[in-house]
Amino acid sequence: MTNYLEVKNLSKSFDSFQLHNISFTLPKGYIMGLIGPNGSGKTTTIKLILNMLQRNGGEIKIMGLDNIADEQKAKAELGVVFDTNYFSDDWQVTQVEKSISVFYPNWKSERFAEMLRKFHIAPTKKVKELSKGMQMKLMLACAFSYDAKLLILDEPTSGLDPVSRDELLQILSEYIEDGEHSVLFSTHITGDLERAADYITYISYGELFFSGSKDEFVDMFRIVKGGTEELSADLKEKAVGVRTFPTGFEALVKTEDTGAFSPLSIEPATIDEIVVFTSKKGDDYE
Amino acid sequence: MSNTLKATKLDFSLVKPYIKVIGFTMLLPIAFAAINRSILTGVSFAMCFIAMTTGYTFSVTEKNSMERLYGILPIKKSEMVTGRYLFVLALGAMALVVSLITQPIVLRAMGESVGAFDMISAAIGGLFLFALYTVFQIPGYYKYGAIKGRVFMYIPVAGFLATLFFLPKMPADNPFVTTVVSSPVLLIGLVLVLVVVMYVVSIWFSIRIMENKEM
Repeated sequence: MTNYLEVKNLSKSFDSFQLHNISFTLPKGYIMGLIGPNGSGKTTTIKLILNMLQRNGGEIKIMGLDNIADEQKAKAELGVVFDTNYFSDDWQVTQVEKSISVFYPNWKSERFAEMLRKFHIAPTKKVKELSKGMQMKLMLACAFSYDAKLLILDEPTSGLDPVSRDELLQILSEYIEDGEHSVLFSTHITGDLERAADYITYISYGELFFSGSKDEFVDMFRIVKGGTEELSADLKEKAVGVRTFPTGFEALVKTEDTGAFSPLSIEPATIDEIVVFTSKKGDDYE
Repeated sequence: MSNTLKATKLDFSLVKPYIKVIGFTMLLPIAFAAINRSILTGVSFAMCFIAMTTGYTFSVTEKNSMERLYGILPIKKSEMVTGRYLFVLALGAMALVVSLITQPIVLRAMGESVGAFDMISAAIGGLFLFALYTVFQIPGYYKYGAIKGRVFMYIPVAGFLATLFFLPKMPADNPFVTTVVSSPVLLIGLVLVLVVVMYVVSIWFSIRIMENKEM
């Protein structure tokens, strides 16, 4: 299987934050969700991939190319969408094309025009006149116009309404349909990933918690629910995290440990629940 | 088209909304030339004013968080920096050409004689002033951004004051000074060499700053 993105033992130190030995692989033709709470290191990881930050250790390969030694070649294959647009607010949409297209030999104007029509973006509008969702689509239209093989999105859905979020997920699903494109998608809105992602990389407090298939990730945990009197010391000890209410409790436990709690209600865990419980580092909370 | 030229083209599109301001800045010094009845004064003002507008690219970049765009484009940081210098030089060249066309027309209409030597002196003086301002400004903008970096614009002013202070203390019969002053060709050559050296050093500093900068 060809890998479009390989990150090995990536480390970066700031004064108040450290990213430790992050490793993951994104195969060709799939969508990977990069998840974790705010400040966990998702944007740092993406900026390191883009060589916008200098790493302290590790190795990054984009479509087999080193992200520093072969930076230009690698970036020519990359499309990037940030949470806010990176064009000049005063540019018209047509000016965006004029300014950006020269950097990409594969740029196809017909494709850009087609994308604008598909996304209902008026070419004469200024960037600042577009809604946040439209600005995001404009960034996507640019990436699709030079047929970027790997799309990296940093928190693209934050601040988008549910309709725009749904549209984005639809666009991404269509984008990888031919099996020739991949997406790395950072978000803390994990509900988006339930639908779109094939793989999950979960970073918590600068450490890699998990990287692998989404099904494997979700299957690793279960939610156990019960009344207050049913919260035994054994369960508390085995639980990854426990949330108590006046009437009962919810606990995230590893799937292999669920046998011990069979009389209780055991349900599959959502990605959101896994992130919430594991981010609390196993502490009880109400 | 080389990546450096692509970066220059991108810079021109950044300042497009300011084109009227830049045009006005190029034409305003005609008034200074007319008031002082001197093309040297007019061109000097024009080049100082236009040097101040070179910060627009940095302000637009900062205002729109466009360092992220520069971070994803398939272009080396050194090409990005060199492209910006080329843009600045092109802007300076345009201002110089506009001044050298418009100001003699106005001055001649006012009855002043403007000869080729006056125009060459004005061009060389203007070029030197423009270089002096921009070689300090641009690395300052790269290091500290569009707002804090403006401080670097005042370094040449401090240099002028220091020169005014130390110049009278220099021996009047210094052979180097007398030789250079007595030969206009030598003076022009010296200024041109100095301008080139200043830009080379400035570009080197800016590239170093950008290569170590985290976006």
